[in-house]
Amino acid sequence: MCLGGVTKAHPHIFVDARTGFIFGSDQQLETIKISWRYDEFTTLVLFETLELDQDQDGQLNDADRVKILEGETNWPKGYKGDIYLEVLGQDYPLGRPKAAAVMLNANQIEVSFDLPLSQPVRVDSTPIFLRLYDPFFYFAYTIVSAKASPELPEDCKAQIVLFEPTAAESVIQDKLAALGREDRLEIENAGRLFSDEVQLTCG
Amino acid sequence: MWLRFGVTVLFILAIAAAVWDIVPWFEIQRWAVGGQRTFQNAMAGALRGIQAGNPQGVWTLCSATAAYGFFHALGPGHGKVLIGGASLASGATLKRLSILTFLSSLAQAVTAIFLVGGLYFILQIGSADLTDLTETWLAPASYVAIAAIGAVLIFRGARCWYQISHVKQDTHGCCGHSHGPSFNDVATLTSTRDAVALIASIAVRPCTGALFVLVIAARFDAFVVGCLAVVAMGLGTAVFNQMVATSGVAARRLIGFGARDHKGMQAISAALHLTVGFMIIAISVSMLLP
Repeated sequence: MCLGGVTKAHPHIFVDARTGFIFGSDQQLETIKISWRYDEFTTLVLFETLELDQDQDGQLNDADRVKILEGETNWPKGYKGDIYLEVLGQDYPLGRPKAAAVMLNANQIEVSFDLPLSQPVRVDSTPIFLRLYDPFFYFAYTIVSAKASPELPEDCKAQIVLFEPTAAESVIQDKLAALGREDRLEIENAGRLFSDEVQLTCG
Repeated sequence: MWLRFGVTVLFILAIAAAVWDIVPWFEIQRWAVGGQRTFQNAMAGALRGIQAGNPQGVWTLCSATAAYGFFHALGPGHGKVLIGGASLASGATLKRLSILTFLSSLAQAVTAIFLVGGLYFILQIGSADLTDLTETWLAPASYVAIAAIGAVLIFRGARCWYQISHVKQDTHGCCGHSHGPSFNDVATLTSTRDAVALIASIAVRPCTGALFVLVIAARFDAFVVGCLAVVAMGLGTAVFNQMVATSGVAARRLIGFGARDHKGMQAISAALHLTVGFMIIAISVSMLLP
C-alpha cells in the first residue's frame, strides 16, 4: 500500500521511448528529442479508435498521420507528455511538441517530436535528469537506446539508467521513515521513483 | 468482552501485516507487468492472424487472452479485493467460493460482450466512447457497489458483536437464524442474494482490454471469435482470483485455530466481518478518488 500511485492502476499501454538532446553553442541544451513506440495491441487499438487505414492496405496515409499526430502532440492544457526534465533538483519547464512525425514499423506505431526547453540550459558536471513516466501508471514507459541520436557536444554524455527496484524501494522506504504522516502526500507521485531516466552531464 | 474483541482484531491485523511484509510485491508486480506486455502483444499478433484468415488464429488468440487475463488480474483490481475479503469473512465453503469466482469472471466477460454487442453494433457508438463510458461510469459504479458490500459486512459484524455481548447464553447463536452456533453463524455469502450481489458488483465493470479485443475482432469481421477470446480471458482472470479465494479461506481457517470455543469462533467471525468490511470500503474509496 505504500506504493501510492504505482499500485493504483496497472499499465494498459506499453511504450518504448527513445530520447535525444540537441545542443546550441557552449553546451547549451536547447531541445529534447522524444519518440514513443507503442506496443502492438495499443497500435491495433489506435487503428480502431481513430478509424485509421480505411482502405485496409495496412499502411498509414497522410490523413491517418494527421489524425494520430493530432491526438499525440496536440496536448490538452496541463498535460506535459509524461516528460519531466529535472535541472538542479527542480522540474524544468518545457515547450510543446514540434516537428512531429509518425510511422508504422513492425506493426507498431511510432511517434516522434522535438520538445524545446523554455530557456536553454547550460549543462555541466551536475547531471540533468530526463524521466518519462505516467503518474497513474496507465502508460508504462521503457527508455531504450536511440538508433541514431543527434551528436552530443564533446565532453557531454547521456546515460540511460534503468529503473532498479531495490534502489527505488529503499529510497521510498527511507523517505517513508523520514517523513511524518502529514508529509506523506509529497511522495504520492511516486512514479518518479520507479521510472527509467537519462542522466545528462557535460565536462 | 471488548478486550477480547480488540485482541481478536489486533491478531487479525498482525497476521495481515506479517503476510504483507513477506510478499515481494515489487518483484511480483514487475513479473506481472512483463507478462501482461508479452501477452498483450501476443493478442495483437493473433488478432492480425485472424484478419489474415489464419485457421489457428482462434486458439492462439484464446490462449493469449487467457494468459492476459491471468497476468492482468495480478495487478490491483476490484474483483480480487472483494473475492479475497469475502473468502476471509464469509462462511462460504471453498467450493462455493470457487464457483462464485468463476461466475463473477464469466459475468464480467458477458458484460463486455453485451456492451460491445449492444452499443457498438446497434447504437454505433465508437470504441473510444465505449471505454470512456466504462471508465467514467461503470468503474465507479462497481467500486460503489463493492463499498456497499463492505458496509453490509460491517453491519453484520457489528450486529453479531452486539448479540454476542448481550446474549450471555449460547441458545440463540449469533445473528438470529442459526441454531447450532458455528463459525458460519454470520452467514455472509451463503445465500443466493449475497452471491448475486457479489457477482453483479464485479461484473458491472468490464475490463477495457476485453472491450478492445471485441471491438478489434468486430472490425476484422470476427466478433464471435472475439467473444470466445473474452470468455477465455475471463477464465484466466478466474484462475488467479481462485488463488486469492483459496488463500482467503486458508487464512480464515488459520485464524479460526485461535478460538477456544463457539463464542470465540463467533467473536472472530464478527471481527473478521468488521475488519474486512472496513478494508474493502477503504480500498474502494481510494480507487474512487482521482
